[in-house]
Amino acid sequence: MKTWQCRTCGFIYFEAEGLPEEGIPAGTKWEEIPDDWICPMCGTPKADFDMIELD
Amino acid sequence: MTIPQEIADTIVDPKAYADGKRIDDAFSFLRKEMPLAQATPADYDPFWVVTKHADILEVERQNDLFHNGDRAATLVPREVDQKVREMMGGSPHLVRSLVQMDNPDHMAYRRITQGAFLPQNLRKLEDRIREIARGFIDRMAAKGDTCDFARDVAFLYPLHVIMEVLGVPEVDEPRMLKLTQELFGSADPELNRLGAEVKDPAAGLAAVAETVGEFITYFNEMTEDRRRKPREDLASLIANATIDGQPLDHFAAMSYYIIAATAGHDTTSNTTAGGLWAIAERPDQFRRLKADPSLIPSFLEETIRWVTPVKHFMRTATADAEVHGQKIAKGDWMMLCYPSGNRDEDVFADPFEFKIDRSPNKHVAFGYGAHVCLGQHLGRMEMRVLWEELLPRLESVELNGTPKLMQANFVCGPKSVPIRFKMH
Repeated sequence: MKTWQCRTCGFIYFEAEGLPEEGIPAGTKWEEIPDDWICPMCGTPKADFDMIELD
Repeated sequence: MTIPQEIADTIVDPKAYADGKRIDDAFSFLRKEMPLAQATPADYDPFWVVTKHADILEVERQNDLFHNGDRAATLVPREVDQKVREMMGGSPHLVRSLVQMDNPDHMAYRRITQGAFLPQNLRKLEDRIREIARGFIDRMAAKGDTCDFARDVAFLYPLHVIMEVLGVPEVDEPRMLKLTQELFGSADPELNRLGAEVKDPAAGLAAVAETVGEFITYFNEMTEDRRRKPREDLASLIANATIDGQPLDHFAAMSYYIIAATAGHDTTSNTTAGGLWAIAERPDQFRRLKADPSLIPSFLEETIRWVTPVKHFMRTATADAEVHGQKIAKGDWMMLCYPSGNRDEDVFADPFEFKIDRSPNKHVAFGYGAHVCLGQHLGRMEMRVLWEELLPRLESVELNGTPKLMQANFVCGPKSVPIRFKMH
């Protein structure tokens, strides 16, 4: 399971946790999230997220 | 549809923000009756007033359609706008920071410091910030059982943190605070450089320009110093940054320092002061928060929503557009009213209630989209650490007089929060 971070606001998407409140179940891989998805914190498009490793 | 004159005049009036209720009532009326309509206050060019949470997000999300820099990025009277343009060679901006930039410059300049403000990189500052917070709490305890929480703690603690991050020596902090208050409190006779009510807009602008000039003189020296001897601070990052292999434009670099040295603490100060004011008036919530520190994160978000220290930013449409069914023409000026978005009845249940356990709490106090507050994670960390340290020591707290709000329509909050307290 990987972790992705928004370049604009720092929001972190944990694949293991998903975003159930946005209809993205736990375990959803980044590739499975639609391309038009935007950061829930700041609206940055998916394409502007960077993948980061967990600490 | 045009906003009634009295409401239009209220939303630009610094005294309405100092009153609190007057501005809340004006925005409540607008959200209900005309959520996106044009205002024509006396002395101002017409502008659209965006009051709904969803519309603020909609405008901020489209940062290429709604620009920050094409016209003034904050509300200014027509006469002041003309004078700024005369002074600045046609530009409507006295400074050129991230707030006044659009892409591609905005992204290029933001990336210089963005990494430093990401949560994982701020974590290494937490121990030091905690030490600073404890120092201020010790000083508060040493005052006995009364203090002005705004002046004695809330103004000084975030100031010290950001100045340390920036690299400004402690001895210069009072000067930085004074200059910040002159800038953001330019309409407040107790805080502005004139020390008086601003009756002549030109004189008010001249005073603000002097303040900006003083900042630039200060940071010029700092830039030279950091280019000679870079350190581990934000000033060194800005002084030695390059874009496409070239050093930063000098004016933009100076503006970068200025925004860090002003917005980097005043907003946090306002929120902290307003947060304590809120719990001093609500002993039940204070007791609950003390008994359950796991509520600190939601309490903190509620203080940010509650105070919303940045009252507005302006945007300019780069093309004909439509928002909330309203046609916006290319070149139109738009006021994004964050306090209104954060009291939007469609988003927040009981928006005028202060609830330490509010969830969800998707406020727009930090803005949204490409221009979302760069320092939001630092601000949150500073405030969380302060509350984590202060609440266990604070046995009781109540108001010891009437708090006062600053007169301003851009960045503002409490300027005085007199309290009586007991500490462990």
